[in-house]
Amino acid sequence: MEPRFAGMTFFATSHAGDVCGTNGLPLTPNSITIYGRSQILRTFSHPNLCTYLDIIRGKHERTMIVSEFHAQTLALLQEPLPLLGIVKLCHQTLTALSYINSHDIVHRCLAPDNIMINAKGNVKLFNYGLYYMTGKGSDVSFPIGNPRYMAPEVFLVDSQIASGPKVDVWSLGIILTEQALGVEQLWPELKLAQLMRKVLSLINCNSDTSVFSRIAREHSCWSKYESLPQSLVHLINSCLQLNPLDRPTPKELLEFPIFKEYSFDEYSLAERPDTLVETTHHLNSLPLQELYYLWRLAGGDVQSELKKQGLIRTMPPILSVPRLVLLEGSVLGKRRDQTSLLDLKIIPLSLESLRNRLAPVPVSAYYPLITTKSDVLNDAEECDAADLPLIIRERDTEYQFRRVVLFRRLLEGYPHTKSAIVREARKDIPPLYRGRVWAALLEVEGDIEAHYRETDKETPTHTDRQIEVDIPRCHQYDELLSSRDGHRKFKRVLKAWVERNPQYVYWQGLDSLCAPFIYLNFNNEAMAFACLSAFIPKYLHRFFLKDNSAVIREYLAKFTHVIAFHDPDLSNHLQEIGFIPELFAIPWFLTMFSHVFPLPKILHLWDQLLLGDASFPLYVGLAILQQHRDTLLSSGFNECILLFSDLPEVDIERCLSDSVAFYCCTPRSTTFRQHERCPSKAGLKNKPCHPDLEMSAQTVAELQAESCPRISGADLLDLLDSSKFPRPKVMVIDIRSPELYNVGSAPGSINIPHSRFDLTQEIPQLPSCPEVNILLQNRGKILVVAGQGDSPCAIQIAQIFLRNGLPKVCVLHRGIDVLQLANLLTKPTAI
Amino acid sequence: MANRGGAAQRPNSQTQGKICQFKLVLLGESAVGKSSLVLRFVKGQFHEYQESTIGAAFLTQTVCLEDTTVKFEIWDTAGQERYHSLAPMYYRGAQAAIIVYDITNMDSFGRAKVWVKELQRQASPNIVIALAGNKADLANSRAVECDEAQAYADENGLLFMETSAKTAKNVNEIFLAIAKKLPKNEQVSGAGSANQGRRLVESDSSAKTAGNCCK
Ligand SMILES: Nc1nc2c(ncn2[C@@H]2O[C@H](COP(=O)(O)OP(=O)(O)OP(=O)(O)O)[C@@H](O)[C@H]2O)c(=O)[nH]1
Ligand SMILES: [Mg+2]
Repeated sequence: MEPRFAGMTFFATSHAGDVCGTNGLPLTPNSITIYGRSQILRTFSHPNLCTYLDIIRGKHERTMIVSEFHAQTLALLQEPLPLLGIVKLCHQTLTALSYINSHDIVHRCLAPDNIMINAKGNVKLFNYGLYYMTGKGSDVSFPIGNPRYMAPEVFLVDSQIASGPKVDVWSLGIILTEQALGVEQLWPELKLAQLMRKVLSLINCNSDTSVFSRIAREHSCWSKYESLPQSLVHLINSCLQLNPLDRPTPKELLEFPIFKEYSFDEYSLAERPDTLVETTHHLNSLPLQELYYLWRLAGGDVQSELKKQGLIRTMPPILSVPRLVLLEGSVLGKRRDQTSLLDLKIIPLSLESLRNRLAPVPVSAYYPLITTKSDVLNDAEECDAADLPLIIRERDTEYQFRRVVLFRRLLEGYPHTKSAIVREARKDIPPLYRGRVWAALLEVEGDIEAHYRETDKETPTHTDRQIEVDIPRCHQYDELLSSRDGHRKFKRVLKAWVERNPQYVYWQGLDSLCAPFIYLNFNNEAMAFACLSAFIPKYLHRFFLKDNSAVIREYLAKFTHVIAFHDPDLSNHLQEIGFIPELFAIPWFLTMFSHVFPLPKILHLWDQLLLGDASFPLYVGLAILQQHRDTLLSSGFNECILLFSDLPEVDIERCLSDSVAFYCCTPRSTTFRQHERCPSKAGLKNKPCHPDLEMSAQTVAELQAESCPRISGADLLDLLDSSKFPRPKVMVIDIRSPELYNVGSAPGSINIPHSRFDLTQEIPQLPSCPEVNILLQNRGKILVVAGQGDSPCAIQIAQIFLRNGLPKVCVLHRGIDVLQLANLLTKPTAI
Repeated sequence: MANRGGAAQRPNSQTQGKICQFKLVLLGESAVGKSSLVLRFVKGQFHEYQESTIGAAFLTQTVCLEDTTVKFEIWDTAGQERYHSLAPMYYRGAQAAIIVYDITNMDSFGRAKVWVKELQRQASPNIVIALAGNKADLANSRAVECDEAQAYADENGLLFMETSAKTAKNVNEIFLAIAKKLPKNEQVSGAGSANQGRRLVESDSSAKTAGNCCK
C-alpha cells in the first residue's frame, strides 16, 4: 500500500531566556500558539488541497505536521504539460487558492514541489498552511517561500507586512511560465542572491515588454512564446503584473474566459500505470482521518519516523552549552544548531504495519450493516478486545477500527440513528468521534451555526473580567486550551452562553464546564456552544442562577441522602466528624467534576454521564467517596478535608461501573429534586398516576433534617409489583399501631409500631422483637419506613435504622395512606 | 495520600512547648493570588496556571515561634463575588484572616476594603486581620501605592505587607506575623483534634471567641 500521508517538521522561535509577559507569568511558547492556530487547517476539505491530519508538538519548540501526501508532484513530471494540462493545472490551483483565501489564508510558498498530483491526475496543493500557522512567519526564524517563485514585492516591503493572496498569483504565473515555455526551471544556474536580484530586476519591465515575454526572450523560447494561444498569454501576463494592484486575485482569475474555452476536466495531469490501481486496499475506503487515527494506534509515531529519516537529530546537550552567560541573562558563544533551520523534507509515512495489523479483519467489517430500524448487524463483539478494559479497547487497533467505522455510519444517519448511537455508546465511544457522539447524546440538532453566528459574543460586559482571569487557569496543561486560539474560543463561547441565558449569570466553574466541549470541538465553536447549552439544563438546571443557594443546597442534601442510602457506615462516620458535602462537593457538582479531574478522566466520566439522567452525578460522587472509603472511615475531619481538597487518585472506570450499579438499584424518586428540570416528553412514558403517589417539593431545611431519602408511592408500588420482581426487592416497615396495621397494610410488610422505639435515646437502638429480626434478615432489600401520613416518627425511625448500619433505608413519602389510593392494602398474613 | 496533612508539616515542628491551632481564612477578589499564597506557604511552590478556586479549599501548615508550635488550618475561599454567600461559613469562627488584593489592580484593593468592613462587623471581634498586597513582583505595573495601603491598614489596625507568591517575598513573613499576634494562652494536648474544622463550619451562633486556640 502506498503512503497516504507524510510528515515534516520545523522549529518555532523560542522566547529568549526568562522573558515574562506583563502579568509576570511566562509567555505562551510559540509552538503552542502555532498548535492552536493550525487546528482550523484540519477542517479544510477541498478536492484540490491536501488535508492536514495532525500537528504535533515535540521538545524544544519543535512542530511536526502530518498532511495528506501524494508522491507525484508537478516538479517531478518528466515532460512539460500540454496546453490542456496547463489550463487544468491553473484552474485547479486557483480554486484551491481561492478556497484558502476565503479563510484568510495565503499559501506564500507555492512552487512546483508543493503542487502534488493525485492518482486521478488532479492538483493537490501541499503545505499551504505553513505561512498561516506560523503567524505569517512571525513565530519562526526562517523565511517562508521559494525565492524563484516569489513575487518581487515580498522582497521589497518590510517583512512585517503580511502577504496577501496576490503573492500566490505571481508564483502561479512563474509556474505557468515554466510549463508554457517548456523550461524545467527558470534561471537554473543562478545562486540564491542572484536569483533575488533577478526577480527584482523584472521590475524594469514596462508596458511594452511584459514580464512573460522578457522571460521567454531570456530563455530563448521566443518561438514557443509566439505559438501560445492569446488567452493563455493573457492569463500569464495578468499573473505576472508587477504592481499587485494590477494583478487579479485567484477568485478573479477563475472568471477568465480561457477556462470556458478549453474543456480540461477529463484531462489527467499525470498518467499512472494501471498496476497501482489494482493494489487498492479496502483501507483506502476509509476517510484519511480514520486512517491516520488507526495508523497511530498500530504503532505509527511521526516523531520516530522523522528521526529515522534523519530529520530530527538529537545533539548531546553539552554541545549546545553557551560559552558565556552574562549576569543579566544574555547568552554568548552558542553555536547555532543547524537542525533549527528549515528543512522541509517530506517523509511519507508507511501504512504497511497498519495493513498487517488489520489483515485478519474481514472485508465485511469495512461495511457494517445497519438496518432501517438502526439495529447494527455486524458489530465489534466479534473482536477479541471487546471484553477488555476501556483503556485497552481505546488502544486496540482492530477494535477501534470496528468502532470508528460503525460510529461514522451511525453519525451519518443521525438523528434517525439516535437510539443505536445511545446503545453503542453504552459500550464505549471511540475517541476519534467523541465530539460528534456527545452532540448526538445531547440531542444537538438544527442550525446551530446560524444560532451561534447570531449570538453576540463581542460586546463587553461586566463579567468579562472574571472570564478573562479564569480562562488562563482552566486546564492549561493542555496544548489546545492554553493556546491563544483556545483562549479566544473559550471567551467567545462563554460570552455567548451568558448572552443567551439572561436568567443566569457567569459563575466561576462555567469555564471548566466549557473546557471539554471546546477541547472536542476545537474547530467548531458553534458545536461547542450548542453542547454546553444542552448540557447545562440537563444536569445543572438552575445552578447558574444569580442566587443558586437553594439549588445547590438541595442537591447536596440529596447527595447526603444517597450516601446514607447506599453506605450507612460511611454516612454515619462523615456525619459524626462533620464532613459535610458543602465543604468539598460544590466544585464536584457545579462543574460536573470538570474542575477536579484532568481532561482524559473527564472525557471518560462524561461518556457515561451523558447516558444517564440528572441524578447520575450523585452516584459518581458516591463512587468517588467509596474509592477512598477506608481512608475516610479511619480519618478525622482535617484528614478527610485535606484528602479531598485536591482530588486524590480515582480509578474512573471503576468509579463509573460502581455509579451505574448504584444508579440501577436506586428508586428514582429517592433522588427527586424540585430544581431538576421537569422531565420532558421522553420522561413521561410512564402512565400518569395520582399526584399523591408522586414526590413533591420539600424545603431545604426539611431535606437537611432528614437523614434518609423519601420514596414515592409510585416507586413503591412499582417495586411491590410481583410480576416485575418475583423475588421482592423491597420490604415495608409499617410503624403504625397494630390495630391500624391489621386493618390493611402493604403486601409483605412487617409491623413495628413506633411506640416500640425509644426516640429519646442519644444513641438510638433497635428494639428487640421478632419483627426486627426479620428486618435484619432482609438487610440489603430496600427498607421503606411507612407511617401514618408524613409522620415525623417515620423519619426518626429511618434514621435509627441508618445509625444502626442498615443500608437502603427510605421513608414513604406521605405515608401508608397513599397505598390506599392504589387499593393495595391487604390484610396482613401472619409471618 | 492520607498523610498529606503530615507532609505539610515543616521539619521544625517539634512537639515540646505549646501547640496552638488556629483557623485562618483567605479572602479577596478573584485572581489576586490567594491560592498561590497558600500554595507558596504550605508547599513552597508556585504554579503559573494555578486553578481557580470553587467553593473553598482547605490546607494546613505549621510554624514554630520560640516555644510555641502554631498550626494553621487554612481556608482558601473562592474570590468571585457570587461565592460571597458561602464566605461566612468559612470566616465564622476563624481567628485570623488574610485579605488579599493585587497591587496592579485598584478594584481589588477596593474589594479588600469591603472585606475588612465585613469582617469587622461579622467575624469574631478579636480576629487578627492581615492585608496582603500581592504580586509585588509586578511593581512596574503597580496601581495601588504601598503608602496608601499602609495608611489604610494602620487606620484599621491591620497587619500589612506586600507579598509575592511568585518570588516568595513576605509570604512566610505574613503568616509568621499573624502567628505572633495571635493570643496563645491555652494549650492543646494533641494537634489535629477531629472537631476543629467542624466547629468552624457549624458555629452558626458566631459566639466563638478568638484566642480559643485549643480544645
Ligand atoms: N506575577 C505574579 N502572579 C501571581 C502571583 N500570585 C498569583 N499570581 C497569578 O495570578 C493568577 C491568580 O492566582 P490565584 O492564586 O489563582 O488567585 P486566587 O485569588 O486564588 O483566585 P480565585 O481562586 O479565583 O479566588 C494565577 O495565574 C497566578 O499564577 C504573584 O505573586 N505574582
Ligand atoms: Mg483560588
